[in-house]
Amino acid sequence: MAFARIANFLSFIFLLMTFLLIIRNSLAAQVRMFAMQSAVLTALAGVVAYFGGRGELAGVAVVFAIVKVIVIPSVLNRAVSKIGMQRAVAPYLGTSMSMFICALLVVLAFYVMAPVTSSNPLPTADGIPLAFAGVLIGLFTTVNRRRALTQILGFLILENSVFMVALLATYGVPLIVELGVFLDVLVAVLILEVFVYRIKDNFDSIDVKKMGALRG
Amino acid sequence: MGMMLILLLTIPAAASALIGFSRKRETIEWIHAIASVLSFIAAAVIAVTIWMGQEVIQWQLLRADALSVFFAAIITFVGAVTGVYAVGYMRLDESDPARIRIFFALFQLFVFTMLLAVTTDNLGLMWVAIEGTTLATVFLVTFHDSETALQAAYKYLMISSVGIAMAFMGTVLMYYAAAARVGEIGLSWTSLIGVAAQLDPSVVKLAFVFILIGYGTKAGLAPMHTWLPDTYSEAPAPVSALMSGALSTVGMYALIRFKSVIDITLGTAYTSTWLMRFGLLSLGIAAAFLVSQRNYKRMLAYSSVEHTGIVALGLGFGGYWGTVGALLHILNHSLSKSMLFILSGSIRLKYRTTEIRGVRGLLGTSPWTGAAFLCGVVALLGLPPFGLFISEFMVFRAGFEAGAPGYAVAGIAFLALAFAGMLAGINAMLYGKPAGDLDRSDPLMWHIAPVALNVVLLAGLGLTFPNGVRAFFDQVLLIVGVSH
Repeated sequence: MAFARIANFLSFIFLLMTFLLIIRNSLAAQVRMFAMQSAVLTALAGVVAYFGGRGELAGVAVVFAIVKVIVIPSVLNRAVSKIGMQRAVAPYLGTSMSMFICALLVVLAFYVMAPVTSSNPLPTADGIPLAFAGVLIGLFTTVNRRRALTQILGFLILENSVFMVALLATYGVPLIVELGVFLDVLVAVLILEVFVYRIKDNFDSIDVKKMGALRG
Repeated sequence: MGMMLILLLTIPAAASALIGFSRKRETIEWIHAIASVLSFIAAAVIAVTIWMGQEVIQWQLLRADALSVFFAAIITFVGAVTGVYAVGYMRLDESDPARIRIFFALFQLFVFTMLLAVTTDNLGLMWVAIEGTTLATVFLVTFHDSETALQAAYKYLMISSVGIAMAFMGTVLMYYAAAARVGEIGLSWTSLIGVAAQLDPSVVKLAFVFILIGYGTKAGLAPMHTWLPDTYSEAPAPVSALMSGALSTVGMYALIRFKSVIDITLGTAYTSTWLMRFGLLSLGIAAAFLVSQRNYKRMLAYSSVEHTGIVALGLGFGGYWGTVGALLHILNHSLSKSMLFILSGSIRLKYRTTEIRGVRGLLGTSPWTGAAFLCGVVALLGLPPFGLFISEFMVFRAGFEAGAPGYAVAGIAFLALAFAGMLAGINAMLYGKPAGDLDRSDPLMWHIAPVALNVVLLAGLGLTFPNGVRAFFDQVLLIVGVSH
């Protein structure tokens, strides 16, 4: 079962990238990790297209490569260099504590996804909990981080992971939905980029914690 | 009739594009106002067609049944009222023409995304459209361009996007459960409902939790509501009105669509329990924040959380009265909240503040606005003769019938607390002596006619429940799988 082995391996690398993204504290490195994570996702789409006999996924892989490996990382890189901040400010919980929580989330992912994995006849099923762990870690990262830009990265991990689950569990969702979601995510990132600049201009900081004017 | 459905979506989409290309302000305003009203007429024609007995109107991925047109009618009605008001409101704004053009173009795009969400058969496309509503509104929220508006919009975009990503996860799980049975068309609601009885219950349970959290964020259910008070209070009045009156109902629509499928797989107990929990929590949190609220726009926003909670409770209690009560409550709340946000814009123009403390003697300084505000508040507080009194009564009655008296009693207690909290604030605003020297005139008269329409409808829904309306609700109940 070469297909199963490759899919498992890619899921593992995908999760590894997620962890690396959390550990690294240079923003540029975090963006690079995101791009590599997206590349893994693209590779998986290609693999499923080839072994699973889903020709249209090859097209999805191409769109994926353009949007998530090239366009979004370069937008984020531009933001990183423009706001002139190289290091990510420490999150609410430190790195070692975050790692510990993320490890727990991986265990939780296996537990939550048990009904999906056990009933799934596809050869890719074993990777599902690993991908779903990315959903939980992405959610945690978004909540745990202070800077607007790093929150956006958390959201993007989350987004990638949902796609990963979809690929592994059902060989992807119907094409029109897939394309619609790409469009939404791309527009969301572009809008968020505008926000990063404007928050920076207005507060001279993109530390979300300092945005405290709205309470109660 | 498929043509009608295409037309309904084409009107706002084309208006948005035309406004984008127009240069003259007057042209922009006319296109916007005409499109807003035409959308409502198109939705009304479709609604009447379905009411007259044609169950479903379908064209490719588009599909409208009684449930869809109920929401499409709310969206377009609120869209027409706020749309007409927005023209007058924006005339007072001295922004440069390019910004005005963007405002109206996004306004129409926003209406388009909401309409697409309620008229598509494909639950994946519905997700795309609902995420689209967030993207279309971000720059409407920041229109006043203040620091606080910027913060509010960032929070809104981030929380909504993350929340809706959860809903996508839920959608993928539903697709997974269905694709094994029906293949590629597993995201079509029609085919989903056909195979619902054979889906894997454990997967469907998991899917519902994600869907409830995801679309609950959009609807404004606590504890995912945190974006809502900031956004509603910072956005320009017409935008707050449209968001509170139409956008939150779209989140509820998505929940109801999924619930109708999931209830066939699992029975109603599972979704009911979750909806009642989230509903009661929303009521409780909203009541706590309403008691000590100092800002009237935030007060209206927390009241939206409160009413979303009542709707969730009604859907959770279920049965005939619970479901009809919840649907009627969605309609009543949209009518009353949208008009109150419209009026809040005029109050702000008059007093230059959104603090309750700064507004005194509203009935004296701007008689028309004040009187309309009083009517809206009486309706919103659930007093007769307005519709919310009836729908709240239906919902809580259903709670006792459904054997959930604990939830019903706690809900009524929170409702009373919220009532007392709001009444204190509103009372202070309406009566008393204004601090400065304010002349006796209404800042804007634009909204009085459309808002009067809301008042008439609210009174109508409070005093009568005609057979025709009842028959229409029976059609809706058939779709969501509630028997008489």
